[in-house]
Amino acid sequence: MTQQPAPKITLAHVRKEFGGTPAAVVAVDSLSLDIQPGEFLAIVGPSGCGKTTVLNMLAGLEPVTSGTMTMDGKAISGPGAERGVMFQDYALFPWKTVVGNIGFGLDHGPAGHGLSRAEREARVTRAIDLVGLKGSETKYPHQLSGGMRQRVALARLVANEPKILLMDEPLAALDAQTRIILQDELLRIWGQDKPTSERRTVVYITHSIDEAIFLADRVVVLSSHPGRLKRIVDVDLARPRNDETRKSRSFAELSQTIWELIREEAYRATMR
Amino acid sequence: MKHFLIRFATPIVLIALWQLFADAFGSPRIPRPSAVLASAMKLIGSGDLVTALVTSLGRVFSGFMLACAIAIPLGILMGSVRTVERNLDPLVESFRPVAAIAILPLVILWLGTGSMAAIVIVAYAAFFPILINTIAGVKRIDNNLMRAAYTMGVPPATRMWVVLLPAALPAILVGMRIGLGMAWTAIIAAELAVGAKAGGEGGIGQMMFIFYAYSVELNGIVVCMIAVGIVALVLDRILRAALHAAVPWSRL
Repeated sequence: MTQQPAPKITLAHVRKEFGGTPAAVVAVDSLSLDIQPGEFLAIVGPSGCGKTTVLNMLAGLEPVTSGTMTMDGKAISGPGAERGVMFQDYALFPWKTVVGNIGFGLDHGPAGHGLSRAEREARVTRAIDLVGLKGSETKYPHQLSGGMRQRVALARLVANEPKILLMDEPLAALDAQTRIILQDELLRIWGQDKPTSERRTVVYITHSIDEAIFLADRVVVLSSHPGRLKRIVDVDLARPRNDETRKSRSFAELSQTIWELIREEAYRATMR
Repeated sequence: MKHFLIRFATPIVLIALWQLFADAFGSPRIPRPSAVLASAMKLIGSGDLVTALVTSLGRVFSGFMLACAIAIPLGILMGSVRTVERNLDPLVESFRPVAAIAILPLVILWLGTGSMAAIVIVAYAAFFPILINTIAGVKRIDNNLMRAAYTMGVPPATRMWVVLLPAALPAILVGMRIGLGMAWTAIIAAELAVGAKAGGEGGIGQMMFIFYAYSVELNGIVVCMIAVGIVALVLDRILRAALHAAVPWSRL
């Protein structure tokens, strides 16, 4: 990262308080950060570090208390279709089939404006193929396993073609094997085989250090109570990443480095 | 056959005990199963019972629709706008325990006797369960569903149609099922307001009232009671099936 283009998203001295004065709780404090276009950025930290709050602010679901948060130089003041969000519990519509869920944003939101019915259907089909959901098109979410639901949520996100993907612990509820498989797929969908200019920008919240390292270009480590920037760790592992990456020495070293950064607070969090 | 026996054992035993009890006392004030059956045959044969039930069902459905038309939009409003709920909740909660029969005098004074009065009383009875369940259904909506639609840029009015309403629909349908049960239960009280009519024209409630107040026919009263019970059971079963068909994603 020698010659940096203009950042896609900039956070400058962002502070977030919940509740009114004087009992306000500071969730995030003096957070400054640049997110590059095409970058896969992971945010890790002990519980209570405000990871989800940061994501919600990026999504436009929560206003910042002070400081600024801009995208392409413009302040983020609310949700926008160019920023897609994937929620931890997937937030699938239980009354919609797989197809209905994936096409939801195209059918009802600005992502589908100017697209014909056939074009929208084609996009949904492409998203279904991309995440490997062929054959489950007419199923309802309650008929799907956790891993399948996660795929539906991912396909819905992709079908809307947002420039920025905001993901809040999307794999946290899955078993270990499924998680590894979906990490690989996530990188493929993000475009790790493609040049940076063709990749989407991802902000990925996770509590798993290994997951953050495996996926991300940079890992933002936050400290807790309030959430502050502790360090940004560059992950200089070669792409495409695969099972070899997971076994490599540099992977283990990075994991150790980050663990040492948050160990003390993570311990304290378990005692709380 | 075995299942059939188990299922019907309880009512058969109860009817047998009833007959034994009535025979042992031999009082004319105790209706006997055999006499009730004879009375039922007569009322069915003359067509009066069917006419009465059809008349009553018509009123119940009208009242039920009226209740839905008011309670569902109001419930959605109360469930989604905090200040509206805060303002109306005390009013709702203080009217809710007032039984349908308690508003009978007022309704007759305002609307006179007739079908309209009965329909209003039925609607009153059905109103509260539909309202309460709609409010609860709207409030219980998974907030992330609304947020998901919000982040996809779906406009607020559209969100109401494509997220809020379907998400609350299972609860609304449960309220409708309970509401229809209440409406049917209230029909006896409601038809006290329709005025005496011969045969089945006044509905099942009026028929019962005539058996009580004019012809003093104990067996007829019991026939009416049983008819009300059977119709209630059938209505509930139909609604339950319709509910499952309407919201296949929800395991109610």
